[in-house]
Parts: sequence; structure tokens; C-alpha cells
Amino acid sequence: MSEAQLVRIDSTTWEIPATARADMRVPARFFADEEILAAIRGDRSLEQLQNVATLPGVVGAAVAMPDIHQGYGFPVGGVAATELPDGVVSPGGVGYDINCGVRLLALPLSESELGERREGLVHSISREIPAGAGKHGVLHLGGGSLDAVLKDGPQALPGVRADDVAHTESEGRLDGADPAAVSERAHVRGRDQLGTMGSGNHFVELQMVQEVMDAETARIFGLAPGQLTILIHSGSRGLGHQVCTDYVRTMDARLASYRIHLPDRQLACAPASSPEGRQYLAAMAAAANFAWANRQAIADGVRRAITSVLGRETAEATRQVYDVAHNVAKVEEYGGRRVCVHRKGATRAFPAGSPEIPAVYRAVGQPVFIPGSMGTASFVLAGEPGAMERSFGTTCHGAGRRLSRTAARKRIRGGELRRQLEASGIVVRCPSPKGLAEEAPFAYKDVDRVVRVVEDAGLARRVARLVPLGVVKG
Amino acid sequence: MYRFVEHTAELELEFEAGTPEGVFEEARRAFEELAGTGGGEIVERPVALDARDLPALLAAWLDELVFLADTEGLVAESATLALEGTRLSGTVRGRRGEPRPLVKGVTLHRLRFAQENAVWCGRVVLDV
Repeated sequence: MSEAQLVRIDSTTWEIPATARADMRVPARFFADEEILAAIRGDRSLEQLQNVATLPGVVGAAVAMPDIHQGYGFPVGGVAATELPDGVVSPGGVGYDINCGVRLLALPLSESELGERREGLVHSISREIPAGAGKHGVLHLGGGSLDAVLKDGPQALPGVRADDVAHTESEGRLDGADPAAVSERAHVRGRDQLGTMGSGNHFVELQMVQEVMDAETARIFGLAPGQLTILIHSGSRGLGHQVCTDYVRTMDARLASYRIHLPDRQLACAPASSPEGRQYLAAMAAAANFAWANRQAIADGVRRAITSVLGRETAEATRQVYDVAHNVAKVEEYGGRRVCVHRKGATRAFPAGSPEIPAVYRAVGQPVFIPGSMGTASFVLAGEPGAMERSFGTTCHGAGRRLSRTAARKRIRGGELRRQLEASGIVVRCPSPKGLAEEAPFAYKDVDRVVRVVEDAGLARRVARLVPLGVVKG
Repeated sequence: MYRFVEHTAELELEFEAGTPEGVFEEARRAFEELAGTGGGEIVERPVALDARDLPALLAAWLDELVFLADTEGLVAESATLALEGTRLSGTVRGRRGEPRPLVKGVTLHRLRFAQENAVWCGRVVLDV
């Protein structure tokens, strides 16, 4: 892509016109300031966004958030809407970790009230929640109960709190989920992984509300300065990974029969109305429901840890603020068009008034959580009307990587990073020093800058800034 | 020979060998380095894979290694493989343990399996 092909639309919006490449069906549009733009241009993410703009049935524009970075097929931070019934669905546009997402819990306690029990709480959380891939959870699901989870998500788990379910995107259950569309291999991978965190950038973080930018919305979300929160980042584990693998392979083999030509094989797709498209959407919904159940089981583990360190009353009074997906495809309507919105490392951000938002939040907009890098801040945002007009109801999902894992490891060793974090008062639990180094704060963009761009673009507004007190890494 | 290539978010791997079978062996060695070997019991598992072309077969081979590590804690320390067209069959042998759970999926992005001069080359991007 040449300089001339990049058009600045306004202070935060950039566009590569559809004429830039013969195979693009719509423009590629993204949100950035100059510094973020420079980082974006350092890898292949804009080429990948242009590739997304070639998908059959894509409408409006292929859109990317300021945390965009190079992925595979879709860039991370990418959004694409394909018109139904015959626009395509692309499993790679959701990713391997189907319904990877974040859940925020708010404790009825301040950082000062926690006092010296901080380290004990972080250690207790690390004991309750298995980290790393292949680790077994506390729940083993046989065939029948696993299928119930695939169909109904957290609502299939024993003793689940009604207020947790109500404060989850789509109430933790996507319609149309079909366990029969999920392969036996995926079932095998998922049956004892519920309640496990996984690896990579997954974590459970103990935080404090450092600053409130929108006092009324923060009050409605149940957040106040100094308050303790816990942010959970995980997904659908091996089950979701296998679902994506299975359907990328299936659709890759069927491309010719649908006369679909793609610039990247990982964009493998099929018309949403085709047998392969319908099967994938049914399997993806099942994996998404599994992921919400997984974060529910992790939240249950966090409450057990709170019980053991702070007492049962504190655990019971720990509220779920919300739970949002950032790797998923959903059927939504924009401008009278029914579309399949692929969000790959991007978060739904519906504004005030949306019937999709829990009634208690409907006056202020959907809560969105933006984890920063380990050791830096995270943000609570609220969806804004601009998201519906400009990004298919979507905002960013994190800070976005700017350095490879190898580059991060070359700069710092895990042990040194642990010492630095602990010197700044952050308790760290991580099974792998190597994994810790790969997630070093400098490997990511500046999260404050990323959320300022989405606020300036009118996609979401800042509600509160959270800072870490302790982190349990996957 | 295998090597890791810079990628912002994921892991890109390149392989070179004198034979197509050698590319599969290099991929196994790379995965062993990523996952680490366990100290548990030695087990063998049969492998029978089929794909639409050689690049897809390379991805399917790594899929299989990820699956064994995720479900059995098994990291293949050796493999006896026969390649016929786009079919790969044989046995993998390794120890059970707690492999590093890094790889989520084997993508088709920038996937490659081809002969260049006398060298067979492969490339794959892993979602981590």
C-alpha cells in the first residue's frame, strides 16, 4: 500500500479506498492517531485488513480498531459485516479462541480495606484456577452435561447466580448452538477444561479503581474510586480451538465449489446460508456458550478464593459488572440490513437504549472492558452511538501488541520482569517465566492512547481507569 | 532445520529438509521445543492423516501434535512416518507430561510446502 492510497477522513479515521486493489469489494477503514498509525504500519495488519475487504458479501467497510495488529487471515482488532443470507461466514474471522473475552467482578471492598491480605488473595486465586493449556478444571463434564453447557452456557451450571447470567453479553447463551455440530475431537478437548484459564495473554487480575471519568455511569456500573475489582480474561479453551480448526479445514476444501477466490487461505469461508456456514455458526455458538461457562467457572473459583481469604459475606457481595466477548460472529441489524458481524479481537459496544443491554445499564450504554498490558492500566468504557454508525457497534479489545514475543523475550527475562512488577507493588503468579516475559508491558501499545482514540472517534467513552494490584497469568 | 520468524502476535515457523518427510520431522522438532517434553510414561500413538494438498497436510500434522499434547499431555519425541501423496501415516512416540500450553491452532495463513532447488521448504503460522 502506498502513501497515496491512505486517506485521512477525520482526526481519528483513516481509509484505504476500495479502488486500492482490484479484489477489494469495500474500503478498509481504521481508527488511529499518528503514533498508533506508525505502529500499525510496522507490520502486515493493513494488508490483512484489505484482504478482509475482499470477502464475498462484505458491506460498508472492513473496519479495524486502534489496537489492530498483524494476526492471521483477519488482523487482530478487525471487524467485518457480511450481508445475510448469502454473505460468507469465515471461522478465521472469529479466530481459534472462540469467545475469548473478559469478565469484571466488583468487590464490596476498597484497596485500603484489603490491606496486607492482598498477597494471600492473589495466591488463593492462583490455587483455585488452573493455568496453562491442557490443565484440568475442577469440573469434569461427561457427554450429557457437556452438551448442556454447549447449548445453554453458564445457565447449565449448577448453582449459577441469576445476576451473573443477567450481566453477561447475550446472557451467556447464543441461540442456535448445536452440540452435534461440534466434533468428537472438540468434545474430548473440552470435557475437563471448564474452569481453566489457558495460556498466552490470559489472566486473572486483582485491580483497584484508580480514577473515575464518568461518575454517573460508574455509579450505575457499581464502581467507585479505590474499589477492588477482578478482571478475568479467558476463552473457549481446546474445545473452541478445535471447532475453528475443523471448520477452517472444511471450508478451505469447499472454496472452489462456491467459486470463492481469496488472497489468504486462512480467510476460508462459505455462504452463511450454506450447509457448511450453518454448521459452523451452530458449532461456534456452542463454543461461545462453553467460553461463557468457562469464565463463569473461573468466577466461581475467584469467589472461593475470596471466601477463604476475606470471608463468605464478601464473596457473596462480589458482583459481576458484565462479561463481554471479543472473538465472535453475531447476527445483527444495521441500516435495515441483516448482517453477520465478525469481531476478531474487537468488542461489541452498544449505546444507551439498546434492548441488548441489561435493563440496569440501558440508560448509559453497554459496559466494555479494555485490559491493558500486564502492569499497566485497564479501562471500563461504555458504548456510544458512534459505534452503531461507524463500526458495526464495535470498539477495541485491548492495548494491542506492538512487539513479537521473541522481541519481548530478548529485551527482558521473566525473573527480572517479575522483580520489576513486584517492586511496583504488583503481586505476580505465573507458571512460566518465559510466558511472563512475552507479556511484558513494553510489548504492547499505550492503552491510554488506544482508548482515547475510540473515545474521540465516538465509539465508546471512558468510565473508569483500573490499575493492577496482582496478576495470575496463564 | 527449523527457525522462528518475527510475527507481531503469533508464531511463524519455517522448515527446510532434504525430503518432504524431513519437513514433517522438522515441524515435530519445532513443536517439541515449543511444548517441552514430559518426564512421564512413554507412549506410542498411531497417526493417519489425509489432506487436500501438502501444505494442508503439514497443518494437519501439527494439528495432530497439538491435539495429543492438549488431551494426553503427550509431546512426540520421535515419529516414524510414511508419506504417500497427501497421506501421512505412522507412529509417534513420546512421554506424558505437562506440555507448555502455547499453541491454540495451526492456521493456513502464509502456509507453504514446496521444493526449491533441492530443498523442501515449509512454513506455518501458529495461533498462540
